[in-house]
Amino acid sequence: MNDLVVRDDLSVVAVGTGSQDFVTIKLAGQTLGIPVLAVHDVLNAQKITKIPLAPKWVSGVLNLRGRIVTAIDLRNRLGLDPLEGDKQSMSVVVEHNEEPYSLQIDSVGEVLSLDDQLFERNPVTLDPRWREVSRGIYRLEGELLPILDVDKLLAFETQGKAA
Amino acid sequence: MDDLLNEFLTETAESIDVVDIELVKLEQDPNNKEVLDNIFRLVHTIKGTCGFLGLPRLESVAHASENVLGKFRDGELEVSEHSVTVILESLDRIKEILAGLEATEEEPDGDDSDLINRLDAIAEGADAEPVEDEPDTVDGEIVDTTLGRALKPGEVSLEELEAAFANAPGPEDTADDTAPEPEAAAPASSGGSLYDRVGGEDSVAVAAHLVATRIANDDQLKKFFEAVAIDLRKSKFLGLMMALFKDDIDAADTIGRQLVTVTGFGDGHFDKMLKLVKEALVECQVSSDDADEAVMTFELIREAVVNASKEVAKSTPNKAGTEQKTGPAAGAAGPAKETKKVSQSIRVNVELLEDLMNMVSELVLTRNQLLQITRNLDNTELAVPLQRLSQCTTELQENVMKTRMQPIGNAWAKLPRIVRDLTVELDKKIELEMIGADTELDRQVLELIKDPLTHMVRNSADHGIETPAVRMANGKPEQGTITLNAFHEGGHIIIEIKDDGAGIPVAKLAKKILEKGLATEAELAEMSDNQIQKFIFHPGFSTAEQVTSVSGRGVGMDVVRSNIEKIGGTIDMTSVEGKGTTFDIKIPLTLAIVAGLIVKAQEERYAIPQISVLELVRASANSSNNSEHKIETINNAPVLRLRNRLLPLVYLNEVLGFMTREEIDAREEADDFIVVTQVGPFTFGIVVDQVFDTEEIVVKPVAPILKDLDIYSGNTILGDGSVIMILDPNGVASLANNGVQDQQQDADGEQEAVQRAKYDETESMLVFTAGGGNPKAVPLALIARLEEIDTADVEISDGRHMVQYRGNLMPLIKANPDMELLEEGRQPVLVFTDREYTMGLAVDEIKDIVEEKLDVKLASNQAGVVGSAVIAGKASEVIDVSYYLNLAFSDWMRSGEMVEEGLDNRGLQLLLVDDSDFFRNMVKPVLTVAGYSVATVSSAAGALQMMEDGQMFDLIISDIEMPDMNGYEFVAAAKADDRWANTPIVALSSLAKEKDINRGYEAGFDDYVAKFDKDTLLRSLAQQLKIKGDAA
Repeated sequence: MNDLVVRDDLSVVAVGTGSQDFVTIKLAGQTLGIPVLAVHDVLNAQKITKIPLAPKWVSGVLNLRGRIVTAIDLRNRLGLDPLEGDKQSMSVVVEHNEEPYSLQIDSVGEVLSLDDQLFERNPVTLDPRWREVSRGIYRLEGELLPILDVDKLLAFETQGKAA
Repeated sequence: MDDLLNEFLTETAESIDVVDIELVKLEQDPNNKEVLDNIFRLVHTIKGTCGFLGLPRLESVAHASENVLGKFRDGELEVSEHSVTVILESLDRIKEILAGLEATEEEPDGDDSDLINRLDAIAEGADAEPVEDEPDTVDGEIVDTTLGRALKPGEVSLEELEAAFANAPGPEDTADDTAPEPEAAAPASSGGSLYDRVGGEDSVAVAAHLVATRIANDDQLKKFFEAVAIDLRKSKFLGLMMALFKDDIDAADTIGRQLVTVTGFGDGHFDKMLKLVKEALVECQVSSDDADEAVMTFELIREAVVNASKEVAKSTPNKAGTEQKTGPAAGAAGPAKETKKVSQSIRVNVELLEDLMNMVSELVLTRNQLLQITRNLDNTELAVPLQRLSQCTTELQENVMKTRMQPIGNAWAKLPRIVRDLTVELDKKIELEMIGADTELDRQVLELIKDPLTHMVRNSADHGIETPAVRMANGKPEQGTITLNAFHEGGHIIIEIKDDGAGIPVAKLAKKILEKGLATEAELAEMSDNQIQKFIFHPGFSTAEQVTSVSGRGVGMDVVRSNIEKIGGTIDMTSVEGKGTTFDIKIPLTLAIVAGLIVKAQEERYAIPQISVLELVRASANSSNNSEHKIETINNAPVLRLRNRLLPLVYLNEVLGFMTREEIDAREEADDFIVVTQVGPFTFGIVVDQVFDTEEIVVKPVAPILKDLDIYSGNTILGDGSVIMILDPNGVASLANNGVQDQQQDADGEQEAVQRAKYDETESMLVFTAGGGNPKAVPLALIARLEEIDTADVEISDGRHMVQYRGNLMPLIKANPDMELLEEGRQPVLVFTDREYTMGLAVDEIKDIVEEKLDVKLASNQAGVVGSAVIAGKASEVIDVSYYLNLAFSDWMRSGEMVEEGLDNRGLQLLLVDDSDFFRNMVKPVLTVAGYSVATVSSAAGALQMMEDGQMFDLIISDIEMPDMNGYEFVAAAKADDRWANTPIVALSSLAKEKDINRGYEAGFDDYVAKFDKDTLLRSLAQQLKIKGDAA
């Protein structure tokens, strides 16, 4: 429930007195943020069972302490090239509609506590595929940090088998 | 929700279901006092509880029905169809109100006066009957005529009724007047309260006196009661009994705590005291049953009494610290409540059970994981505790499963009522027979099959059973029968729904298929009747000419089928026009844990539910391999020849998109495994790269985003911790052939199967070698299992080889006395089971299974050999299993010696009727050896069918104990028909008491042979045939 509260706070963008915590992740050189309270687990490379015939952005299923978690290929989901070579991806486990999902990413960074004042809406020039799942951008020193909207990212039901 | 209300709802719902059933019973048998009492009691309880909980609407309806029931019970009113209908209606109303209660926790608004008036009118109507002449009862007459005939009173008569009731005492008043009646009558019958039944205060006082006096004379008990004066003791017992028998538990508990003031009063003493109480009560003219019940109530205070005695030991030094009989002792209230419910069962929230089940499933998986890890370790320290853990887990799993098991009767509970309503609505006569209602299955499964079952029974009643007129015209009994039969079979539950109705009209169905464009005329022409009939499983099919309110709403058998397949079950149907229809449903006992066959395609593993796997075949695509099975193609469609049938194949690699067909065909040295899979009536092979073990898997649903993939039915975590997908054979099949099911191959196979089942022309023989000499063979049907037993496990006890097998010691017999058991490695063993006997027959090598007409050429002198036959082109010795069973178990059965006579019997046709596969397969070779040509059939009905088909035999051998139709009935039926009247029929039965034998001769058997005395049988056959020959 807490992550919901966070989201609500964020949608009221302009107020900007408090600060939010985010886990940063790396994906093809780009740093992205996920609200820290939405993250259940961060895992190292896992053995992922492939699911033939599944949508491309589903990389498979993995076993998280007896729970079966569906792994989402975030690169594919965001229209990036697959991770080259035999590099293994890391997993960030989030929950959507009470179902656990693991987002396959390149690596996990640090947890940042960011002032709401640094938050800004998506620029209109952003790739539509990104705009759809990005909640907004934090202006950090040296780089920009788009925040992933986990629910939109995983709301496959409404958009059918896109991608 | 309020706990009390919650409990009330569950309990009342249960009671209502029972009343539903009982009422239907009552209608058929209006004089059954027991049923009536039961109904009355249940309705009474419902009424009582409603009043207690303050549910006026519910109470008034229940009360009015109780009123009518009371009159039935007192014989003042005749049980009529109409009155039962109205009571059923009131039960429906009660259900409605209950549903409202459940949703809102409040009684829904509504007016029941119409219903109550009708109920009261029934009660009144009969009252008025005996005094018809009185002018005052004109109202009564109207009521009477209205109710006596018309099914549902129309508006007008209702108004009249109401007018009548304005004058007569109102419903409430009547209710109040009549309410005490049944209760007042109760003491006389067995229905009253316990207090009344034991004879009220007088007998209780006498009994208390007797107990108090005798207790002082009992050596063991007196020390506990001596401290208290006899009078006080007496009043204590009196108070206690009064409280208990009047159901005043709190008071009883308080008194109970003060009953014993000396330490050391244990359960044994309490039992002893109960014995005294019972004796005293019986002396007071209380019936034994009531006395037992009375004594039972003492159980409620057992704990209190025993604990009180212990507490005395702990804290109170002054023993005689009791001054008063009653009065709430401080602190007693809390524990008192706990002791109130001493019952054998408790209600547990279903969710809790589900959670428990999930936890256990996880535990099983973790256990499996642990076992797998330690298998690779040499750490023996872990082995013992792990084994213990493993055992506990298994037991836990079994027990938790048991808590979820419910008798299938629960799913059937509504059916009698439904069928009853249908008989009224459709004006048919239908009897519903339910067999095996106590067969248990997982409640989750139960919930899921409830609706399909109901639907099918409705269908049978609506479409299947004809109207009485039609039935009579077709020479059937007026009353149709729908039979439900449930039983367990190897981890599955089989439910059979059979009706003796019209069957499924093929012509009509074919027309409809054409109309709907599901098949072309040419296709239909090629289909067998059975195939056409199976179209009812296609979506949107309903054969009723009219859409009745009962069925035919477009949701047809396809929904039933998909519901059943959803839970891993299969459904099959056979229907004979004019004779009836039978549905066979096979479902797993539980959904939570299933056996899955683990297979590999590419580098991933998959599970296939074991229930759909028929067998495994190893085959190769290239002829270079020496495997005898070879995958062939017809226009690119891969098939396999399997025992004279063509099995369509599906490459898992192709279905999953790993490889194209070209790539598959291009492989070299391919070594494939074929999983022969059955989906409904469709059998096909799934070609996989490799087959691993069978594993117990916990099925977990796939994530919502994968729901669209029909090919998976779930996923699971294996023992090694990896996640694998569970293939849905249904999905694989439809992906593979794009929904083309019920193929021709299928039809041929089915007909073949039917033929085999009916006449048993060919015999599957297992060929093996043991010692030197010719290969040996044994009918496959006799073999329970094939095993390989580790020679290290073979023990020698009493000079015989034994092995521990499935928790029992199984004797191991050498198939040839000359052969040697292996020194090491794994010894192939054929396991035979007959009743409680299990025997292992050690052989050198299992060669093959062949399907052939068993034609035993030569009788053999050699012990243990029936004779020799040419099997797969080689002379083989057919072994005599009974001989080996005798070796293993001296008490199995006396085995006769082989007879050499009778070879001139060649060509004589015998029919063997026996429901036991074992015996059919035992006796057939013996008879074949004696030169007879033998047909077998597994039921009397089947035999009579053969008679209908015009088959003639020289002699018939029949078992006595058979399901459905026993041997006595069979022989009577056969002898009554001209065709078989002159055919000698010999009984072959294990029922060999003089009484049975006499009954056999009376029924028409020409001779009676005890099962299984070969010599006598053969002699009897020769004799009977001679008599027949002489007569002819």
